[in-house]
Amino acid sequence: MKRSGPLLTLLGGLLLALVMLSLNATTGTRSTSSSTTNEPPPASASPSPSPTKASPSPSPTPTPPPNADYAGRTDDDSAAIAVSLRDGKAVAYFCDGRDKESWLKGDVEDDGGMKLTSKDGAELNGTIEGGSIRGTVDIGGQEYGFTADKAVKPSGLYRATANVRGAEVDGGWILLQDGRQVGILKRDGTPSPAPEIDPETGAVTVDGQRLTARPVTP
Amino acid sequence: MTVDPNAATQDFPSPPSAPARPGGGASRYLVPALVACAVAIGLGAYGKVHDPAGTAFNLAGFSSTGAVKSWLATVSFGFALVQLVSALMMYGKLPGPSWSGVLHRWSGRVAFLVAVPVAVHCLYALGYQTYDPRVLWHSVLGCFFFGVFSAKMLLLRSERLPGWLLPIVGGLVFTALTVVWLTSALWFFRTFGVTT
Repeated sequence: MKRSGPLLTLLGGLLLALVMLSLNATTGTRSTSSSTTNEPPPASASPSPSPTKASPSPSPTPTPPPNADYAGRTDDDSAAIAVSLRDGKAVAYFCDGRDKESWLKGDVEDDGGMKLTSKDGAELNGTIEGGSIRGTVDIGGQEYGFTADKAVKPSGLYRATANVRGAEVDGGWILLQDGRQVGILKRDGTPSPAPEIDPETGAVTVDGQRLTARPVTP
Repeated sequence: MTVDPNAATQDFPSPPSAPARPGGGASRYLVPALVACAVAIGLGAYGKVHDPAGTAFNLAGFSSTGAVKSWLATVSFGFALVQLVSALMMYGKLPGPSWSGVLHRWSGRVAFLVAVPVAVHCLYALGYQTYDPRVLWHSVLGCFFFGVFSAKMLLLRSERLPGWLLPIVGGLVFTALTVVWLTSALWFFRTFGVTT
């Protein structure tokens, strides 16, 4: 007679894995209470906001370009640009890592063209071609050409906002495909180079306080 | 009536019957080895091909999935240490109680089942990554761990294995889990502090 215990162990693990996968796929980021804890899930403590899991199945009809993140540098290599696309809307971040940055928003056309604008008057014009976005950014009277390639997590666009010791802290980070980070942290509107975030968890320490930078979606 | 404690408890192989099943001996090793390869490569391929979701559900009471995983991994590693000690007891290298075999089986099951959610999260949310040496080793050995664990489980079902085989495979399982833990949970605790 063969021992069936080891086999049952393996099957148990497989079953558990499948249950967890289906939970992940169906509930997205909703917190699940474990059997040992009954407290309500902390609203601010889950690792990433739910918008990262938008419509999972791209429909076959010619609809807006598929949801994706793009990251790259300007042609003169002076700044980084990341674009996050969800359901025909896009948010972009231009950041030189020192003092120049801009958040831009707008719609993406079905043909992959986009024109994003910011509150401070910056403008991004780009087109999705294959796996990258090619275009220009007008900011502060200067025009930068850029190419941003498709970015897979952990690379992409992150933001953290919080109140640290009475100061409004607003940080933006672009994690490039090669692992480099470009970020600016504003304290009450004054920009400075941002400390590095952990690419896996988004954790970053600002003035002694731990914050979590979250993926940005439109 | 006296009982010989060393008497064979299973059907003893009579020499003429052994060659009657050619390949039966090899398949005892081949099947676990192939399953191990399939599991390891399958997990790695899934992690590589599947677009990492970047997120998955969290457990209540923890600040981040990184913390949850680190603690689950640490629990698993703790049971793996029990595995090492109880295995040494079973092989008589350490004095141990008569139930060290039961201890070994159940601590192993717990260690494995606790590690599964961690692996699911890794593969679902983060994927197979190679962007620095720590991450590369973690990815490779994480896949290897589940492969070699599958092999160990399947080998346990075979009778009359060479005496050195299970300790070697078990040692590989333990070593893989240790390095996987060092490159993830220990790194997490050192980077972020021991948080929940």
